[in-house]
Amino acid sequence: MHVAAIIPWVPLLAAALCTACCASRTLRTLAAPICITGIGTAFVMTLVAIAKLAGAEGDHYTAYLAPWIEVGGAWVDGQYVGGMIANFSYHVDSLTAIMMLAITGVGSLVSIYAAGYMKGDEGYARFFAGVALFIFAMLNLVMADNFVLLFLGWEGVGLASYLLIGHYYRKPSAAAAAQKAFIVNRVGDFGFLLGVFCVYQAFGSIRFEEVLPAARALLTGEAAGLAPGAAAAYAVAQATQAANPAYLLAAPFGLMLGAFGKSAQLPLFVWLPDAMEGPSPVSALIHAATMVTAGVYLIARTIHLFELSPYALPTVAMVGALTAVVGALIAASAFDLKKVFAYSTVSQLGYMFLGVSALSTYGAIFHLVTHAFFKAVLFLTAGSVMHALAGQLDMRKMSGLAKKMPITCVLMLCGCLALAGAPLTSGFFSKDLILADAMSFGISAPTAGAKVVYILASLAGLAAALLTAYYAFRAWFRVFLGDYRVEFGEDDHGHEESHEEHHDPAHPREPHEAPWLMNAPLIVLALGAIFAGILLKATGVIEGAILHSTANSVEAPIAAHHGATEAAAGTGHEEGHAHRHHTPEYLHLLMYGVSAAIAVAGIGLAWLLHYRQRAIADKLRDAAPAFGAALNRKLYFDVLYEKAVVGPLRLVGQIMFLIDSLIVDGAVRLVARGPAFLGRGMQPGQSGKLHAYGLGMAAGIAAAVFLVFFAMSR
Amino acid sequence: MPETAISTLTLAHFLGIGAALFALGVIGFVTRRNLIVMFLCTEMMFQGVVVTLVAFARFHMNTTGQTFVIFVLTIAAAEAALALALVVLLFRRQRTLDASAWTELRG
Amino acid sequence: MMDTTFNSDHNWLPLVMLIIPVVWAAGLLMPIPGLQTKRGAWMYSAVTSTISLGFAGYLAFLFPWGEPDTVAFHRNDLDWIAGFGLHFTYGIDSISLWLVLLTAFLMPGVVVASLIEVEHDMRQFHFWLHILEAALIGTFIARDIVLFYVCFEFTLIPLYFLIGVFGHEQRWKAARTYFLYAFTGSMLTFAGVLYVGWYGSQDPAQVSGAIGQWTFNIDELYAIGQAMPLADQCWVMAAMLAGFGVKTPLFPFHTWLPLAHTEAPTAGSVDLAGLVLKIGPYGLLRLAIPMLPAAAVVFAPWVAAAAVVGIVYAALICRVQKDAKKLIAYSSVSHMGFCILGLFAFDPGAIGATGAVVYMIAHGLATGGLFLCIGMLYDRFHTRELSRLSGLGRIMPLWSCFFVLFAMASVGLPGLNGFVGEFLTLIGGFQSTVFHWGLAVVAATGVIFAAVYLLHIVRQLVFGPTNIPADHPGYSDAHEHGISPEHKHDLSFREIITLGPLAAACLIIGLAPFPMIRSIEPAVRNLNAPAMTLIEAQDQAADTEAAPAPTTDPLPAPPALEPQPGSVVIEPVPAPLVLGGER
Repeated sequence: MHVAAIIPWVPLLAAALCTACCASRTLRTLAAPICITGIGTAFVMTLVAIAKLAGAEGDHYTAYLAPWIEVGGAWVDGQYVGGMIANFSYHVDSLTAIMMLAITGVGSLVSIYAAGYMKGDEGYARFFAGVALFIFAMLNLVMADNFVLLFLGWEGVGLASYLLIGHYYRKPSAAAAAQKAFIVNRVGDFGFLLGVFCVYQAFGSIRFEEVLPAARALLTGEAAGLAPGAAAAYAVAQATQAANPAYLLAAPFGLMLGAFGKSAQLPLFVWLPDAMEGPSPVSALIHAATMVTAGVYLIARTIHLFELSPYALPTVAMVGALTAVVGALIAASAFDLKKVFAYSTVSQLGYMFLGVSALSTYGAIFHLVTHAFFKAVLFLTAGSVMHALAGQLDMRKMSGLAKKMPITCVLMLCGCLALAGAPLTSGFFSKDLILADAMSFGISAPTAGAKVVYILASLAGLAAALLTAYYAFRAWFRVFLGDYRVEFGEDDHGHEESHEEHHDPAHPREPHEAPWLMNAPLIVLALGAIFAGILLKATGVIEGAILHSTANSVEAPIAAHHGATEAAAGTGHEEGHAHRHHTPEYLHLLMYGVSAAIAVAGIGLAWLLHYRQRAIADKLRDAAPAFGAALNRKLYFDVLYEKAVVGPLRLVGQIMFLIDSLIVDGAVRLVARGPAFLGRGMQPGQSGKLHAYGLGMAAGIAAAVFLVFFAMSR
Repeated sequence: MPETAISTLTLAHFLGIGAALFALGVIGFVTRRNLIVMFLCTEMMFQGVVVTLVAFARFHMNTTGQTFVIFVLTIAAAEAALALALVVLLFRRQRTLDASAWTELRG
Repeated sequence: MMDTTFNSDHNWLPLVMLIIPVVWAAGLLMPIPGLQTKRGAWMYSAVTSTISLGFAGYLAFLFPWGEPDTVAFHRNDLDWIAGFGLHFTYGIDSISLWLVLLTAFLMPGVVVASLIEVEHDMRQFHFWLHILEAALIGTFIARDIVLFYVCFEFTLIPLYFLIGVFGHEQRWKAARTYFLYAFTGSMLTFAGVLYVGWYGSQDPAQVSGAIGQWTFNIDELYAIGQAMPLADQCWVMAAMLAGFGVKTPLFPFHTWLPLAHTEAPTAGSVDLAGLVLKIGPYGLLRLAIPMLPAAAVVFAPWVAAAAVVGIVYAALICRVQKDAKKLIAYSSVSHMGFCILGLFAFDPGAIGATGAVVYMIAHGLATGGLFLCIGMLYDRFHTRELSRLSGLGRIMPLWSCFFVLFAMASVGLPGLNGFVGEFLTLIGGFQSTVFHWGLAVVAATGVIFAAVYLLHIVRQLVFGPTNIPADHPGYSDAHEHGISPEHKHDLSFREIITLGPLAAACLIIGLAPFPMIRSIEPAVRNLNAPAMTLIEAQDQAADTEAAPAPTTDPLPAPPALEPQPGSVVIEPVPAPLVLGGER
């Protein structure tokens, strides 16, 4: 058995132990060490699993653990073949490897941070159980070798997210947010399920190592060298393509809906800002670094399926670009520090979707990794601020914290720089890669429609980049620079015990720097936020990884500007070469220049409005109150859903309940009324008088006799 | 000879007696109100049937009908014991033997 | 095909499993001093039902897992009323086995949970529970259709008394409605069954015997039913749907269910939702589909449509319920829709029908757990109104943990039991050869609605600021209390051992459903085979027919299921006793 097969189960064990730790007050403190150990072990095992990848035949290996669901096929020589095979078996390739490293790495750091952050919380053990459960599900998601196991992870992270958003379950807003997150995600899951059904219908299999090569072969037209399973899937898919191409065309749209739900894209983004009700480490880990990127991972993983459907990728591009702009706009107007970063996440995920839609899975995954670093830093520093200010998150009620929390200030600056795409930070490289690829994809697109879509999308991306730089530094300038001014919060986030000392009225409360237990992991992440980009770019790790995984799209612009890397990719991918277009080097250089300028402009604007002249910002805001109000209310998406979906459905439910009790049940009661009515008609006959009965009997006998006599005489 | 004397009586004679007994029983049952008399009337109906059965048995020269008669008589005896006991109980409840005093089964 | 008979020295075991609960019930009637007390009767019943579970475990242990489509423990030599062709024929295949296991598994929990709620006549209560168990086991093991029917109908009587005597305010109305509704439906079913029997008796080619010879052996009735003309099959199918559809319940025959559930005691609800509802789909799968394949194919789109309407309709109704128990009752209507959708999917791999059986088991566990949880709330606070209870996570953490688990299982979260069945029935529906895939798409919206209403109830009860009725009478058993004084409302040890096994089963089935799927799949395929062959033949006919002459008879005779060898033992009917001789 491969070591990879048990990697996800180590965090699950940790989760079970943490749950057991809920039992008593003394055990509770053990939860954090258990959780950290569990995730850390998974990280180390991931390294081992990746080391084995080098020796694996082909680009991947499959680590089989146990059977799960095998149905619709038949047993042949002790092997279940055909049908739907969804087992606990893990597909490890370089794309998986990157995701695993990101998940267990960021997961370890965040749980170390949380050990300090959550101290004194009554749900301490419960929290870590949730985090470990999340890591289990997320690893299943990225390691699964079939759609159904991926769905287990997909829903599992949804559950963990539900439980952790609802961590402060006594707050009605947290309860509502948790419920909303789960249900909106379920809408996506509905699409995901339909996508899986289409895939199964089209390929006769749901295993990645059969479906994806088959899809690739369908694209390239070269079926030689496929493994037997993949060849079978290819045959089924060819038949489907001939007879019923709708399945192939529809599959990516289903999966896309799932991805949009999980990754909080338009129109399903409404849950993510609300999800900030959860503790900050959860926001960092789940709602910024890992879970929300699952949609991007899904599309990257199944990029061939998307390539098979001509309208799928442009749709993704439009949604991604639109989300990037809308998210950035709302982020630029929000005052809640965590909400700013939440919308920022929505917006950045839009970039990633734009990336995959331009077949730049490299760019998307690159941005995913760098985003994991800098967004984790941002959320965790926001958490530190919140921790220090007793739950205060309103940027209007804090200012000049740099003096009180210098380390946090610097750390958040690192995050903001990377988010803004300041030159040479990690966000700079990954974002530009996406934009350049999208632009070049648009320029070289075969149809005019696609041209328009992609060029507009990349321009929208540039506009969003300006907003990004602006809102990132708006937050930073407001919180850390300027005059020192603070209003403490209500501290309804469950830190009663840790803050008890501050309630002494003799000493005014002072914001304090977070302990080193919390800052140490932040420093690691901040270093990553600054340097990961240039390191990964220079070494070509991610590029190589994408090239060796199923995310290597057939028409990818990838590696075109790195001829050497492509040569290193070997002969296996030559066949797609003819279709490839190249993102010219000048476009990258141009994009670097443009976006560096944009980043500086955005930062400058923020400096002007939120450091030099904060009054101007307020005036500007008042100038267009309707627009500001609309942005503050998620562009009325929530209202729309409440008025157009939730409310009507509830009304329909009420009506149906009425129908059920009046009409459906009424019909039954009407039928039941029949015998009763009949009985009432017969009632007078039952006089209770013995003589009447006797007479009736005699008459009956007489009638019978006559009848018989009559019959016999005929 | 006795045989010829009997043989002048045809089956119809016996059936006529049976039918008459039965009809008398029915009329009595319907017209009388005294529970005991009504019960006796049902017995009379029984006897009418019994006569018919015996007559047919004799006519067909087999014993099935007579077997049935024995059977019926036995049952009737048991039933009479039970019914009279019931009548006594009913009398005790209402101090009357009038059947119209019992109309609780009215629908 | 069911051609191998499992030769076992243990073929008395199902009979014992059927009789033993009756013996336990009879034991309760004995004038034993210990049983007079409430606790004594409760203890007796807990022990005896656990022993029954032990027998079920032994049965599973002896089951030939290698060839799960065998009818194991088969026995057909026990006469019942031989002159009418009635035999005490029983046997267990994997479908029966899992349902018997579910029955035996739920019973001890139900018994243990009933200590607080049942305030009087504890002996009578447990008497009826045991009788119900016997009737259910009889239904699942029967291979004679009249034996099946008798047991099927007999489930009504114990439930009538469980609801009527031990229920809530409107208990007699609920009991009466339930009884009459279900009884009316199943009378029609019986008429259908008799018709098939009569049809067989008219055609000596079908049965080994003379004209006028009746058989009620299920395996033989398969052959008889399949040979019936389409119109006859459709009538019988309609009759079967009347009985089994009401039991399931299939929209629009579901209105008895919410009433029965809200008025029933917890034990009644758990048994009703967990076990009795399963007889409906089981009957359809065991009798209707293999016996009437042509009619099943004709009816499938309509039945599936009704199921899908039920899924969405009941789910929408769930969301607006104010009574926790009623909400879960309606959720059963919605969930059983998936089951029926899967049964009538007739997809090539029989994935849908396999999923339907898995779903039956899963639904029994998850919904049973939810009902038990709500019952525990009622024990404490004497209310089930969602608006009067909230924030129980704080005062009852352990209860909340279980409740969320069962709710998630019911939502269909992968890794828990509900998902497997739901996913398989949906994919089966999507691949269906007899109805449009759009039905499955509509049904799949059920996964959203399930989340909506179940998360709604979780949010109402578990989340939010703590609020319990101020005037609640408290926990009636003073010496029982939660795990710690600060959680004095939380689960007692007794309740933990009630819910624990259920929760464990939910997890195990969710993470390792393969033994169940592997064993169920061949058996289900057997039962589906006649219909599938018919569909394939129709498809081929449609292909060849594309050019010329439409044939008048598009229905080729379906292949008969081979009857059980040795099961065709029909006693020659003794000459009727003729009174009187020749002259």
